[in-house]
Amino acid sequence: MSGVECRSIRVEAGGKRLLDDISLAFAKGTLTGLVGPNGAGKSTLLRVLAGYHRADAGHVLWQGRDLADWSAAERGAAGGYLPQQLEPAWNYSIEEVVTLGASRSTAPRPTAELLAEHGLSDLAARRWNALSGGERARTMLAATVAPRPGIILADEPGASLDIRHRLDLAHRLRALAETAVVVVIMHDLDLAARFCDRIVLLDAGRVVADAAAEAVISDPELERVFNIRLQRQALERDRDWVIGLSA
Amino acid sequence: MKRALPLLLALSSALAFGAMAGHDWASPGRLFSALSGDTSLQSQLLMVWRLPRVLAAALVGALLGLGGAIFQGVFRNPLAEPYLLGSSGGAAIGATIALLVPLGLPAGPALAGLSFLGAWSATWLVLAIAGLHGRPDTAGLLLAGVAIAAMLGALRSFLMLALSDDTVNLQVVLSWTLGGIQTPDMAGLALLSGLVVAALALSLRLARGLDLLGLGEEQAFAFGLDPARFVRIAVLVGAGIVAAAVAYGGLVAFVGLIAPHLARWWTGPRHAGMLPASALIGAAIVCACDGIARAVLPPAEVPLGLITALFGGPFFLLLLARRLRV
Repeated sequence: MSGVECRSIRVEAGGKRLLDDISLAFAKGTLTGLVGPNGAGKSTLLRVLAGYHRADAGHVLWQGRDLADWSAAERGAAGGYLPQQLEPAWNYSIEEVVTLGASRSTAPRPTAELLAEHGLSDLAARRWNALSGGERARTMLAATVAPRPGIILADEPGASLDIRHRLDLAHRLRALAETAVVVVIMHDLDLAARFCDRIVLLDAGRVVADAAAEAVISDPELERVFNIRLQRQALERDRDWVIGLSA
Repeated sequence: MKRALPLLLALSSALAFGAMAGHDWASPGRLFSALSGDTSLQSQLLMVWRLPRVLAAALVGALLGLGGAIFQGVFRNPLAEPYLLGSSGGAAIGATIALLVPLGLPAGPALAGLSFLGAWSATWLVLAIAGLHGRPDTAGLLLAGVAIAAMLGALRSFLMLALSDDTVNLQVVLSWTLGGIQTPDMAGLALLSGLVVAALALSLRLARGLDLLGLGEEQAFAFGLDPARFVRIAVLVGAGIVAAAVAYGGLVAFVGLIAPHLARWWTGPRHAGMLPASALIGAAIVCACDGIARAVLPPAEVPLGLITALFGGPFFLLLLARRLRV
């Protein structure tokens, strides 16, 4: 089994239930978007799936094997977890960060090749403090996917990106989902609708909808959960159209 | 290698300065003839007394440089010092007991052994307190370390007051807690060299983990590190190194702060290069400061820790000011 699965996950903190009996399975070849309002439990769920946060109850399985049985090194090589926040203590260069990301593979790919693949060759020596939000996000994505992990879990990788880079990122994630399990937290419902195959909608620590992207987008639950009204408009999938703008 | 050369040159200069400095200054010519086998009394004094002391200073400095680099890496904080974790304080308690309590053990091994024991148990205590509620985070470790270090300092002063009598010289303990390199015999020098080699080898094994930890705990986890386990191991290695430095050189302040800082500036933040650089810089600093300590108030010797604190204090304040500005 080459997927990620969680069974009956429960997470509590300070007497509050952050995740309540969540069971989900993610397969290779599917780009899954985790959406939901702030505080819905998306980041906690992703951390549990990545093994960083130990659930109070339930199991996480990677490729059919309990994640607790994986060694840290095995887990690092097989998985690409991209947390939301990154504040390096030292002023690493792009090249150094990508090399570190690649080093979790037993046969690391050459850094130059990875930098070229992500359009970072010219910036290789640039140090972290001198990078824009977009350059940082691209660097971290390059480092995360360097060993070609079969599992990619990304917590809002597009958060600090402008619309152009967000679209580029969406295309990259789509391409990665051809060969890997990809679960991404997305705040941008428009991008989630057009690029994800499947959307899992979370609210107050529970799964309230889990279906094909089109189905979730037209589900009235979406408006209730976000407390908004949506105007839906059919657009071709995977295309770089921007909606939500009006002159 | 290109980056190592200036550091080696700096260390060589510091060694030469250390060998010349003292209440009786040795000219380069005299140093050279002593090294080339001259048997005059002056040359023998240089070879038997001064050179082992200079080498011991360099080796203690290397240990301080490595220990400091490991602690800064573990805490992900360029202002971290081994003293913050209580390691030095623990080592000092062990050494104070060894110096003041008649244990019936040979003095050298008792001092080294109890220093190790003190540093390790103090560090364990800090880790245990910081980890009471799950994963020990950096802030928790630092706060626990500061509290333990303060308590250990008070306990050491109490022990010094309570245990000293006419038979033990409080002056010896006091000058030791202010830092000072003893002149070792050949066996002591060999043991110290062995410790430095082992410390460097162990540190280099931690290099990749320290690099990853520098990205942040969660990112380090994502890149295949078990941060809690790694921090435990790295802190223990660091504590061991600091204990060895304290056992041989007393409490020498600020070298563990300055050496890693300069090393990071010189080689960049990757630890595979930065750790050996920090050892070389620490060696050069202690060697030079020890030379100054011997030469500045002849025939008396100023405690080494005073010299390093005089130079290191302003450096620390400068770093702090720069950090507060940004």
